[in-house]
Amino acid sequence: MRRRSFLTALMAGAVAPRLSWADAGSPAILGAAREADGTYALFGLTAQGADTFRIPLPARGHAAAAHPTAPEAVAFARSPGTFALVLNCATGKVMARLHAPQGRHFYGHGTFIADGDILCTSENDYQAGQGRIGLWSRSQGWRRVGEIPTHGTGPHEIRRMPGDVLVAANGGYRNHPDSPGVKLGVAEMRPNLAYVSADGDLLDKVELDESLRLNSIRHIALGRDGLVAFGMQWQGDPAEGVPLMGLHRRGGPAVLDRMPIHEAMAMAGYVGSVAFDATRRQVAISSPRGGRVQIFDDTGGHLRTILREDVCGLAPAGRGFFISDGLGGLTRADDRITPLAKRGGRAWDHHLVPVTA
Amino acid sequence: MRAALLSVFVLALLPRPALTDVTGAVNDHVLPAARHFAETADALADAATADCRAMSLRPAYQDAFDGWMGLSHLGFGPLEQDGRALTIEFWPDPRGLVARTVRGLVADADPVVDGPQAFAEVSIAGRGLMALERVIHGDNADYGLDDYECRYARAIAVDLAAIAADIRTDWAEHAQLMLTAGTADNSRYLSAKEPEQALYTALLSAIEFDADQRIGRPMGTFDKPRPKSAEAWRSDRPLRNIRLSLAALRDLAIHMSDTPIPVTETAFETAQQTAMALDDARLAGVADPQSRLKIEILQQQIRAIGDAVRGEIGGGLGLTAGFNSRDGD
Repeated sequence: MRRRSFLTALMAGAVAPRLSWADAGSPAILGAAREADGTYALFGLTAQGADTFRIPLPARGHAAAAHPTAPEAVAFARSPGTFALVLNCATGKVMARLHAPQGRHFYGHGTFIADGDILCTSENDYQAGQGRIGLWSRSQGWRRVGEIPTHGTGPHEIRRMPGDVLVAANGGYRNHPDSPGVKLGVAEMRPNLAYVSADGDLLDKVELDESLRLNSIRHIALGRDGLVAFGMQWQGDPAEGVPLMGLHRRGGPAVLDRMPIHEAMAMAGYVGSVAFDATRRQVAISSPRGGRVQIFDDTGGHLRTILREDVCGLAPAGRGFFISDGLGGLTRADDRITPLAKRGGRAWDHHLVPVTA
Repeated sequence: MRAALLSVFVLALLPRPALTDVTGAVNDHVLPAARHFAETADALADAATADCRAMSLRPAYQDAFDGWMGLSHLGFGPLEQDGRALTIEFWPDPRGLVARTVRGLVADADPVVDGPQAFAEVSIAGRGLMALERVIHGDNADYGLDDYECRYARAIAVDLAAIAADIRTDWAEHAQLMLTAGTADNSRYLSAKEPEQALYTALLSAIEFDADQRIGRPMGTFDKPRPKSAEAWRSDRPLRNIRLSLAALRDLAIHMSDTPIPVTETAFETAQQTAMALDDARLAGVADPQSRLKIEILQQQIRAIGDAVRGEIGGGLGLTAGFNSRDGD
């Protein structure tokens, strides 16, 4: 039986044509949305904003992880969710359903290492209250093959850096699947940005000053030469106008954004997404609560502000950004703002994910 | 026959979908509000130019703050540029930046107050109505014509008038953007729905601001009320601002709806009556269990306006707010 299923899998592999992102219409970005009829779907989008595919989702998504070469996306439920779907974006079929193991829940983000063979998922060991990265093998039918620590509490986004180094945003507070939306341990939180080897060794860790320990580090984007931008969510009074974006390179200190005070206060203490542009010389953060995107140079100097209600999704677009919002707007912002698509009733969810292939 | 009659009767009772009247809201609510604030700010600058002592400025300051309450809820568009809303009124201010900035300027007798261009570069916490309140209602409000505070107060008033005039001009332009939404060269409003959405979100956000900030800040917690976190309490404005805000929001709600909004109007009426009946200008009663309850009731009634607006205006228009902004992570 075992041998037989192995052979079947082998044969299927030998016969099936190897698919690429071109087979899914060569999308530039992936985004999840709620549609006018209240259902949810994952979309592939061209750089002009046209749909290349639409795959229904059973519930509201959070982010997706795009495979580097194959047209496969892992769609995560909202945190603290316990399942994720592996979707074949060329056929629209669900290839696998990943269930978080007992005692773990997903945080809604993931990334691929090992040339796309290992999917890494940010997770919480909610008894111990410790962050984990779940490891899943694509070549072994999406079997869970292990887990490593994030060296912090409440990891949210994780990203792959060159050499399969994982950088994890350890947000500092915990969640529990029994009480979605409740933040646990905020009073004691101590967030960090941790660099972890694929074996789970801590390579580097950065914490901010004690006065900013309520700033939950949650989202990450990668710039030039190992530069990491991180977006934060302030758990104190939103009117305090604290910095919400930091830049860090291993071995150096973290540098915080230099937003004008009125823009910092208008961000409502909340960053939903962070992205570098394609030149990786500019970095953007979005605040759906503040209805604005802030754009910085790669030293944290403030360049400009873009106003869009309920804005959240960001992805690189040349010398600028794709920007999506909960009201159906998808725009490209570089020297000017170019509306790409306006679909009434389609509410774009938190994240836009670039397809690298 | 009887069934048919009954169904006609039932149909008549069903709420009709509301229509948004963007043109009406812009022409009859927004533009008059921008004009009125510009006029009151101008009068404040005139008063300060004639006599910058506190006693001379206080009435015009109150009028300008009143004018601001008619406009401040329209937080999108011209008020969103260059931090104008916070420059006009730097509040809430949990870090005490207004006090620190004003104190610093006065202690140094900083000559930056002597030229409008230079003053426009001062930290926004040292400009606007809240800084002016510190000067004319603070501990040194008995300053004389030759004192630094007098020049400072004048600089704030002149600066405010300039900002208010710019907003009035920009609103005339922005109104055109709202009324040409969805046309090819309009990159601000991508569809006809967006200006409706902007007005709707402004209305809901302002209702929340009244409940959560104007009342919620001084309320603090039962064990730790914070009456001195109330908005502009030194000039006796906390309750007045809530009353004026509710009146302005009701006016916006009426103008942006093409159909009657009886549920919303009743909710406004209830809250406004409670606000009128309160006799506590500074909301200092948050620290007393009995009077605290009355303020809490007002807070709940204001939140109920939000529910009515969501159901009656938002539901009818297919407008929602906060797909992402109300969702975490």
